Amino acid sequence: MNKPIQMENGITPGTCPDSPCPFPGLASGVLEMRVKEGSKIRNLMGFAMARIGGGLRQVVFTGSGRAVTKTITCAEIMKRKVGSLHQLTKLQYKVVKEVWESTEGGTSEMTVHRTVPSISILLSKDPLDPQEPGYQPPETLCALWEEKEGVESASQTACKRPLGPLPYSSFTHCKRVCLGEGVSVLPPQ
Amino acid sequence: MTEPRNPGMSSVPQTAPVHTDSTSQAVEMDPVEYTLRKRLPRKLPKRRNDVYVNMKTDFRAQLARCQKLLEGGGHREICVHGLGLAINRAINIALQLQASSQGALQLAANTSTVELVDDLEPEDPDEAGEPMTRTRNNSAIHIKVFYPDPQ
Repeated sequence: MNKPIQMENGITPGTCPDSPCPFPGLASGVLEMRVKEGSKIRNLMGFAMARIGGGLRQVVFTGSGRAVTKTITCAEIMKRKVGSLHQLTKLQYKVVKEVWESTEGGTSEMTVHRTVPSISILLSKDPLDPQEPGYQPPETLCALWEEKEGVESASQTACKRPLGPLPYSSFTHCKRVCLGEGVSVLPPQ
Repeated sequence: MTEPRNPGMSSVPQTAPVHTDSTSQAVEMDPVEYTLRKRLPRKLPKRRNDVYVNMKTDFRAQLARCQKLLEGGGHREICVHGLGLAINRAINIALQLQASSQGALQLAANTSTVELVDDLEPEDPDEAGEPMTRTRNNSAIHIKVFYPDPQ
């Protein structure tokens, strides 16, 4: 909406550093991947996969605004590649401070505080609290598809997933969904 | 960064990088020309308290629908689903609902991957091109918006 104005006026977005960590009580050694709009998924994943392959227990992916989709994609790729990861997803508004400068060489500046939706996804090799809203047990996806084949299995009641039965879940022939978000779309040669 | 240098790109200068479809590029590179048809996502379960957010309907209308379900509809919880670009909007709706409830509502988000199918149909039937399908994945979010049970 304000994109054209951004172009004209030169904008310096900055984040208010005081947005609280959505995961209280997290160990300090956790890798936080801050996904930006222009981040390349292969760069992010190359780094994060190397770290988690090197014995790291927990990774947090965070992103806001237009990077939210990419953040989820990263987490989904990692879940699929690593396997057996517990997930905790948190949503919150993030306050972004924008400084607008006039392009006419004036010194006038205007500071605007905007709220953008942001997402934080904690992936952990160690178990997390299943009662926490936004918790997803490992292999939910695959288990889910299997489960929907016939019986509403006990796994849902057992782990008390807050979301209840997921949508898309009654597909009967959807198991391949677990296979690879990064599937390349190369042209046929 | 703001100005596209590549003249070939100038027709789509403002698209978010995520969504500059790799598919369309791939089609351009094909030796045979294809028409790309995106099939609709697989049909989804729909309970009365499921809301599937899209990018076509007006945002306020979708927000109002959720509010109506929670307040007038007597539902203790609703599920807001978003796929791909609509993830942002789904999150926005959920956060708006939460903010306007003065903290009475809680959110529980789950993410998943949805497999989508594209059809590739050869433009020119005389050429050797075969109709093809190609699958790709897209991310989705499912947000439960609910009044927590009094403990």
